[in-house]
Amino acid sequence: MHALAIWTLDFCRWCNGSFFGHTIRDSAWLFPFVEVFHLLALGLLGGILVMLNLSLMGVRFGHASTRELARELRPWLRGCIVVMLLSGFLLFSTEAVKLYGNWAFQLKMICLLLALLFTATLHRRVLDRPKTGAPVRALTALVSLLLWLGVGLGGRAIGYVTTAASAVAGS
Amino acid sequence: MMLDGALVWLHDTAFGTLIRESTWGEPVIETIHVLTLTVFLGFVILLDLRLLDLALRRTPVSMVFRQLNPWLFGAFAIMLLTGISLFAGDPVLFYGTIFFKLKMIMLLAAALNVVVFNLTLGRRLMQWERLPVTPAGAKLTGALSLVLWISVVACGRGIAYVLPPP
Repeated sequence: MHALAIWTLDFCRWCNGSFFGHTIRDSAWLFPFVEVFHLLALGLLGGILVMLNLSLMGVRFGHASTRELARELRPWLRGCIVVMLLSGFLLFSTEAVKLYGNWAFQLKMICLLLALLFTATLHRRVLDRPKTGAPVRALTALVSLLLWLGVGLGGRAIGYVTTAASAVAGS
Repeated sequence: MMLDGALVWLHDTAFGTLIRESTWGEPVIETIHVLTLTVFLGFVILLDLRLLDLALRRTPVSMVFRQLNPWLFGAFAIMLLTGISLFAGDPVLFYGTIFFKLKMIMLLAAALNVVVFNLTLGRRLMQWERLPVTPAGAKLTGALSLVLWISVVACGRGIAYVLPPP
């Protein structure tokens, strides 16, 4: 565990000093520019997840079965995750060491890891198997929504934790 | 000016004062505003992608509309309520930023886009929605909507950067 913490902090230091970190930090408009992509991918990702999970809970979207819906939306889901991870990494690299110690960011990363794992394994499996029982489908939908909500709430909290920390440091 | 008077009045209402002075008011409302964006913006983009023939191609357009509209309207109501609440916290300051004005113009343009579509192609939905390719007008509506809503989000973000730090 100790080694992992050191490795993570080293990685954060590297990010801070990397080309991305420098360039975005030194630019007045690059950070908001990347942030807009992060938000747009977040919007579409949220929309797709809400739609798929509602479908798992029994809400019908036209004639399409949950499996068909998942098949049609999967490329967009993947695309959103890629854009979010890339833009997220770029934003992270501007203040990686500061975020390392931010509990909201830590919570977000844990939720993100769990949400990605869940989406790629159990969630995917239940979406593709029409014969799964209704309670299992509903539970899968709920877990998916809660994990991604954790990512969102953690992300929202990052800014407030940073502000509170610098207010304490400044006083 | 009348507008200035209205902004000051809103600023001084009990509601505006409550938002401005409470510790949790602004963060909580802003969090709801941003999280609802996942439903609202997400569904808008899905609708636009359908009009552009890029997603949900096997579902007829009217079906996509009918299924998504209740969620879309619900989410928009929440966006509007939380948005107005945030605005009420400091209307003079918000209105003074270029991004706020731009955002409102883009919002109006996005609404106009919906109205124009409903009065034209939307009326003849049944005639074209089962065609293998949506008509150019519908694609234009989808593309315009995407551009306008992306601008709304970008301007919204922009507001935070031009406001003086709290």
